[in-house]
Amino acid sequence: MTRYVAGRIGQAVLVLWAAFTLSFIILQAMPGDAVLIKFLNPEFGLSADQIREIRQAYAIDSGVLVQYAHTFANFLQGDFGYSMQAGVPVSVQLATNLPPTLRLAALGFGAAVVLAVFIAFLSSIAPFAWLRNLVQSLPSLFISVPVFWLAIMLIQIFSFRLKLVSVINPGPWESLILPVATLSVPIAAPLAQILIRNIDEIRTRPFVGVARAKGAGELHLLWRHVARNALLPTLTIAGVLFGELLAGAVVTETVFGLNGIGGLTEKAVSNQDLSVLQAVVVISAAAFVTINLAVDLAYPFLDPRLRTRNGA
Amino acid sequence: MKPYRKLIALSIGILAATVFTASAADSPVKGGTLVYLEQQSHTNLYPPAGGFYPNGGILNQITDKLTYQNPKTLEIEPWLAESWQVNDDATEYTFKLRSGVTFSDGTPVDAAAVAKNFDTFGLGNKGLKQPISEVVNNYERSEVIDPLTVKFHFKKPSPGFLQGTSVIGSGIVSLSTLALPFEQLGDATKIVGSGPFVVSQETIGKSLDLKAREDYNWGPAKLDHQGRAYLDEIKYVITGEDGVRIGALLAGQADFIRQIQAYDEQQVEGQGFTLYAPGTRGVNNSIVFRADNPLVSDVKVRKALSLAVNRDEIISTLFSKNYPKATSILSSAALGYVPQTDKLGYDPEKAKALLDEAGYKVGADGVREKDGQKLVLTSYASLPQPQSQAVLQLIAQQWGKIGVTFNVLAGDAGTKIVDELDPQKTPVAVAMVGRADPDVVKSQYYPTLRNVLLQKGGTSDKVQTFADEKLNAILDEIASQPDREKRLKAVGEAQAYVLDQAYAVPIFEEPQAFAGAAYVKGIAFEAVGRPSFYSTWLDK
Repeated sequence: MTRYVAGRIGQAVLVLWAAFTLSFIILQAMPGDAVLIKFLNPEFGLSADQIREIRQAYAIDSGVLVQYAHTFANFLQGDFGYSMQAGVPVSVQLATNLPPTLRLAALGFGAAVVLAVFIAFLSSIAPFAWLRNLVQSLPSLFISVPVFWLAIMLIQIFSFRLKLVSVINPGPWESLILPVATLSVPIAAPLAQILIRNIDEIRTRPFVGVARAKGAGELHLLWRHVARNALLPTLTIAGVLFGELLAGAVVTETVFGLNGIGGLTEKAVSNQDLSVLQAVVVISAAAFVTINLAVDLAYPFLDPRLRTRNGA
Repeated sequence: MKPYRKLIALSIGILAATVFTASAADSPVKGGTLVYLEQQSHTNLYPPAGGFYPNGGILNQITDKLTYQNPKTLEIEPWLAESWQVNDDATEYTFKLRSGVTFSDGTPVDAAAVAKNFDTFGLGNKGLKQPISEVVNNYERSEVIDPLTVKFHFKKPSPGFLQGTSVIGSGIVSLSTLALPFEQLGDATKIVGSGPFVVSQETIGKSLDLKAREDYNWGPAKLDHQGRAYLDEIKYVITGEDGVRIGALLAGQADFIRQIQAYDEQQVEGQGFTLYAPGTRGVNNSIVFRADNPLVSDVKVRKALSLAVNRDEIISTLFSKNYPKATSILSSAALGYVPQTDKLGYDPEKAKALLDEAGYKVGADGVREKDGQKLVLTSYASLPQPQSQAVLQLIAQQWGKIGVTFNVLAGDAGTKIVDELDPQKTPVAVAMVGRADPDVVKSQYYPTLRNVLLQKGGTSDKVQTFADEKLNAILDEIASQPDREKRLKAVGEAQAYVLDQAYAVPIFEEPQAFAGAAYVKGIAFEAVGRPSFYSTWLDK
């Protein structure tokens, strides 16, 4: 087990380094750079000579390898540098933007799980066939609703029409209601889809028939026998969905005017703000790797078969 | 008698009541918080970066300037400087400062501080990576004569400097702010000015709170309002989404918002909200040609393209009355504006004839060509300009009618900037700049400045040969002629010359659009349309 964990952590470090390097190469390959975008901009109206001087000051024209080594060394020391565009240290930007995104993502994911489980259970125990069909088609509907549109609709209806929640200057929890609802929908869809399919498949297994023959009620059957078995593949997909969560956060944050990693990334990409982008890439990669590692480590606890195989 | 008395008493009462309510409605109420929705978060708040509207909207509240440009008359009036003297050839400016003015950190706004500000704006600070300000030309050095008198020396005449001290980019900040490296000036709490408001709290990228300074007593001398600001607080909230910003205003969650597109105006005004569309008084929203590209190097081709642009159609299709049709390269409210309507007609037939004359014949596919070279032009849309993509697409349709293909691109910022330096890739570009001084004309077209025409010797090393010395001589005259009459005459010449050469096709006078609730009173704008909330109050 320890060797397994150590190996996985080694892999994780490799992934982080690759993410850092790849993002650096891609950003270098893009035309233009952060200094040009920042200073060759009507807001300054600088002359050619002045821009040349600024480029020298930021050493932006020094060799690619020199820049890579420099950034990498700083990174290892935990120095993320400054955002060229915003004019603040990247660490400050991360400190203001990471917690809200984590909160949003965690709550959004939690809500999505609840929603998915609810849909999946309903689809298998709802009384009428037409109702079951209807519930089963919900995931397809959810995944086809554009997040952007959904967000605007929720704001228009619940904030501007019904005036139930405020979008501008809301309280700390009030500010999360609509964004969490928005974010949970596209995440719940694939979760529910997989859960439904697994439940359907597992219900046809012989052991379910045996349990039923022994007199287990539908709900007991679903909860004790079917759901536990259906959970494993769902968990795998949940780890992968984290990426979706970040992508959904970009749109949600933009529409609701929340600060967070999504908006920060969007701005950093469009301004080629190297230091911000690299920090975001590495942190996202770290989160991705950690979550998938946690998922893998959680398998043995959910599935006794995996436990024995590891032990053997 | 009695009834009469009653009547008189009653009428006096009514009269008193009317007078009283009238004065109550007109006299500003102190207190309250203004919720202001911005479309974009501010970037670096180094004062010369104030041209970016989100930056200007903040700097205008937290910094004061040496002088105040009256937005109605465009005259320069006293502010931090009580008086000033300019020598005959505009190479020496002496400012006498108002006494008792302090920055919000308690340090005095004295000659030393002001001198340090303009040394930085005029020369830049390489060690701290602080760039030069666009509005301070030919700066040499400062001289502190006494604690309240400062003199600036220029290498060459700099007639635009006096107005330059009044603009958003010349906000005076404390020595502690100027001691910070450029890359730390994006933190609003570190920008210490002497303005009527002070930054009290900021969540970078999301919101910013300003608080009124109780001891503020040095507003522009000729304003009616003196003393502290009426508002207690201003809350800036970044709300990028147009629909949410406007919806929040209409739903009463915000008091004042920036950036309303023309197609949203009706919705806002229809519900009793006030629309503000101050002009920007500089070079109009235009498209410009880069004559280094052989496709547009012939003045006949450029004239034809200019004649084929139907401004009326653009304005009636995409805009509103707040976007007046351009009648010169300069806004009609700009200093030195001379109408050039005769050079800005719409005549597609004449355009076709000119293209024929220039040798561009209609090919089999309907696109004109000459020696196998098709007349296909390309431009990027400009994000800050209102509906730039739509404007260019409409022009593409209009040019299509005379056999010219016009490709409108919307690339990422980096690609756009690199391509726009290459006249071969972008023979056409969108250009606009706001500043209420004739220097703005030089700034826009001069090769070593913004260089929108891409002349040789400027920011681009991709230019082969194009340079127009005649134009540059006129521009030099504008920026260095100390005699006001002669200077304004040069501004007139520049307008006529640019259009005779058809280097630019001005389209409309670009406003900045804001909207506010009816109870928001006393909103003012500086000469280029940045809001000032010093005299703003809430009538509720």
